Amino acid sequence: MKKPKAIILRGTATNCDIETFNSFKYVGAEPELVHINQLLSGGRKVLDYDIMAFPGGFSYGDDISAGKIYAVKMKKLAADFEKFIKGRRPVIGICNGFQILVKTGFLPQNRANAQVSTLYTNDCGHFIAKWARLKVNKKSPCIFTKGLPDEIELPIAHGEGKFIVEDKKELAAITAGNLHALTYCENPNGSMLDIAGVTNPAGTCFGLMPHPERNFFAWQNPDRPAAARETEAAGFQFFKNAVEYTR
Amino acid sequence: MNDTLSRFTSLPAKELEALDKAAGWSLNALELAEAQRQFRKMGRQPARGELETIAQTWSEHCKHKTFSGPVVFKDGSKVKKYKNLFKETIVKATKTLNRKWCLSVFTDNAGIVEFGKDGKWGLAFKAETHNHPCAVEPYGGAETGVGGVIRDILGVGLGAKPVLNTDTFCFGRLDSKKKLPKNAHSPERIMRGVVEGVRDYGNRIGIPTAAGGLYFDEGYLLNPLVYVGCAGLIPVDKIDKKVIPGDLIVSIGGRTGRDGIHGATFSSANIDEDTSASAVQIGHAVNEKKALDVLMRARDLGLYNAVTDCGAGGFSSAIGELGSETGARVRLDRALLKDTRIEPWEIWVSESQERMILSVPKNKLKKLAAILDAESCEYCVMGEFPGDGRLLVTHKDETVVDLPMEFLHGGVPNFEKQARRRKIRINSAPPALPSEKYGQILKDLLAHPNVCSRHSVITQYDHEVQGGTVGKPLQGRYGDGPGDAAVIWPQAATLDQTDFSGFGVSHGFNPAIGKIDPYQMALHSIDEAVRNLLCAGADVSRTAILDNFCAASPKDPEVMGDLVLAAEGCLDGAIAYGAPFISGKDSFYNQSRDAEGREYPIPLSLLISATAPVEDVRKALTINFKEAGNPVYLAGLNARGMGGSVYNELNDSGNNAVAPLDMGAAVKLYTGLAKAIKAGCVAAAHDVSQGGLAVTLAEMAFSGGLGAELDLAPAAREKKLTALELLFGESPARLVFEVVKGKETEFLRLVKGLPVSEIGYVSEEPVLSVQDGSVPLFREDLAGLKACWRRELI
Repeated sequence: MKKPKAIILRGTATNCDIETFNSFKYVGAEPELVHINQLLSGGRKVLDYDIMAFPGGFSYGDDISAGKIYAVKMKKLAADFEKFIKGRRPVIGICNGFQILVKTGFLPQNRANAQVSTLYTNDCGHFIAKWARLKVNKKSPCIFTKGLPDEIELPIAHGEGKFIVEDKKELAAITAGNLHALTYCENPNGSMLDIAGVTNPAGTCFGLMPHPERNFFAWQNPDRPAAARETEAAGFQFFKNAVEYTR
Repeated sequence: MNDTLSRFTSLPAKELEALDKAAGWSLNALELAEAQRQFRKMGRQPARGELETIAQTWSEHCKHKTFSGPVVFKDGSKVKKYKNLFKETIVKATKTLNRKWCLSVFTDNAGIVEFGKDGKWGLAFKAETHNHPCAVEPYGGAETGVGGVIRDILGVGLGAKPVLNTDTFCFGRLDSKKKLPKNAHSPERIMRGVVEGVRDYGNRIGIPTAAGGLYFDEGYLLNPLVYVGCAGLIPVDKIDKKVIPGDLIVSIGGRTGRDGIHGATFSSANIDEDTSASAVQIGHAVNEKKALDVLMRARDLGLYNAVTDCGAGGFSSAIGELGSETGARVRLDRALLKDTRIEPWEIWVSESQERMILSVPKNKLKKLAAILDAESCEYCVMGEFPGDGRLLVTHKDETVVDLPMEFLHGGVPNFEKQARRRKIRINSAPPALPSEKYGQILKDLLAHPNVCSRHSVITQYDHEVQGGTVGKPLQGRYGDGPGDAAVIWPQAATLDQTDFSGFGVSHGFNPAIGKIDPYQMALHSIDEAVRNLLCAGADVSRTAILDNFCAASPKDPEVMGDLVLAAEGCLDGAIAYGAPFISGKDSFYNQSRDAEGREYPIPLSLLISATAPVEDVRKALTINFKEAGNPVYLAGLNARGMGGSVYNELNDSGNNAVAPLDMGAAVKLYTGLAKAIKAGCVAAAHDVSQGGLAVTLAEMAFSGGLGAELDLAPAAREKKLTALELLFGESPARLVFEVVKGKETEFLRLVKGLPVSEIGYVSEEPVLSVQDGSVPLFREDLAGLKACWRRELI
């Protein structure tokens, strides 16, 4: 079977690119690390790929606000990105990647690609890294969370993760469409409706603050038996789903 | 200044001293006289830039002249002379052990040991201190401390990929009542600044901060200690580097500014009211991340012959080091600047951060430039390495330095230091009976700042970036167990998810013992670090260690006496445990004047950082109890003495004897236990350290959400051991194990003949119950114990 090509987009201070690359490789994709500069110079084209991932990190130092500079750099190539998403090719934005998708206006999806929500500084006022229990919305069209149990654990690691939307209409659109594919059991940052991850109505473009690549294998969990008996953990399913969707 | 410089070779000693003070060089009389002699020989007066270069190169920070100098040690009527204390203790241990898996020791920016199963990788490990900057400007000092030690890893060999940061901090007590002198920051202000600095730098650059510690003692009130460490992976064929004459000098990363002028020389002096915050650099993690990304690609393509980082002394040290054999031609006007109002000599010695110096063959510059541009990383070509051994530094038409390299790197004159054993009265009478019940004492200990939870600090660090932190700083069902060691699976460096090789990193640190017995402190610290690794399931027969000494002024013979004794402990401990030192660093002059104008020194502080391979990270151990019904074992001899214990700090027992470490017995014990771990007999392991046995048991229980019914009667113990010493004493070489039910027979076979005793079992009921034969000691519910422990420190 032909391996789907996954573009792992990076820029200055994208930090989780390699483990995201490894995760896609493990589930049978053919990943490639591509710097935004390579897209801007025309050396690489997003439409040549089947899957797109925006990994975590501190792109451009979180200057101005998390993901903002990366999103501005993407503006010149907006048409290509739009085509990719509209063509229902899978897109995942993890942590800083989610922040980028929100700042570009791709998530939550709207006609004008206008930014209708943001991921604001956590209520506690600083960066926080810990494990979080998450509820999986079984009614969500999200292709990445298919097949997961009702509740999973993933670590979070962010300073700006409080998901807030512009107005009630936008929030209603999210709940009505079950676009909130993941919610926190104990809200760590003050997000509206405990939202941890949001998808587009097609279910193919998904952004989440928690890190599935950090609970990919059983031995990455802090509460594990003396010798891990199973191999894959909850995070594995997100990547596996993306690859299977392309087939 | 210029007028004085034009008469330099004929200046009398007093004027030399005044000049040194005015310029901020921190050179001593012997060194000033030597510089004077050299210029007399050359028959000319020095330029400012030349004396600046000498001050940087000969500084305590760069040359470590105290530790590697001659010392006379007096112990009563006995006298021992050292020509080079460092070589005769730390280095001697490594040479004696001569372990084949040590790939590079003491020579480069970090030590390197073999990593993984096929001999393809090396693990580079280094720890540094950034104490003086953090006292003056905690946030900036901590940021640039982290940035600096990461650059050591980037600059070792042809560059290693950082996969772990470690941090150990010492602060004054947060509840300190002591009046602070003018300009000193409160411990809380320092702690917040340091934690935020480490957080903002480490998180942005994408390296997990997953090991370390926090220690509070009034001795650190005016002089906090900030130890920063970094470990990285390097292909073994990228360890050797050599500058080839004709190579270009290329600086990549950050620009040069006026921040961090005289950082190296400032670390050679005590902090006082006049200390300037401009000696502290300003950090910018993103620039360092760009340099990191460029280096890893350029290294694998073989685009440079050598690399080192710009640390203390800036260009002068980095280019001086790389060109120590070839010489260097440097054009300072080529440097990219952040501030144009800067003197040429300032460009030369500025310690602006995030700069790496590469030695690049001319025909590879174009390829390198393409990578630099692709990663948006700035660079400049500063000159070349000629091969004539001459250091010529110019700025447009001005000559800033024109000296032979051998002058700089030749013999630095050295004073003989006086050392004397401190007189300490030891009381080994049985400890006084406590007025409180044991259960209450345990709660008080769990809430003590040196024992309580560090979650409020740990959760501010991204300790899981790179997806390889298998042994976490917070373990167990609720993330409430203080892990003994970080276990790292460097998948983001090897790109190989089918190789489960990893490594553990742990620490040993106990200045409270050092106040009583510096020799035993060194032994206890090595033992604690090794035991922590064992508890994580690492192969401790292949432990490599780092020494980081922090001390007060070496002009005080008792400070030097403490250092000599601890260094001797390092020698004996390393040899007994078969654990060579692979790198180290020291920091002196950690003392200041208090509000009353009296000298206020820190206690001698030795941080032992240790690493050992974990053959299969999937089998790494954690500390939390796993399953009700599993038997619990206590390993090691429970010895007498309350010296150096946290209990004594809370409630002085009168007894201050430190239990001496029986190294031979400890090594034998760990060898047996390691076999049992490897055989899969062990479900959880935790060492007995600060707070003693009761604290260890409580932590294992509440982090697993499971209780235990325990009777300590079978435990191996010294004669006349009191219950207080058994529960709260901190004698070394003890561990607690939860053994997998059904594997007890195998476990007992593997530890036969060793002091290992079954003391009870893990229970479903969330209660920790401990008795000693027929004597009940305490019975406490886990929620109450955990509530005491889980304090918000920040």
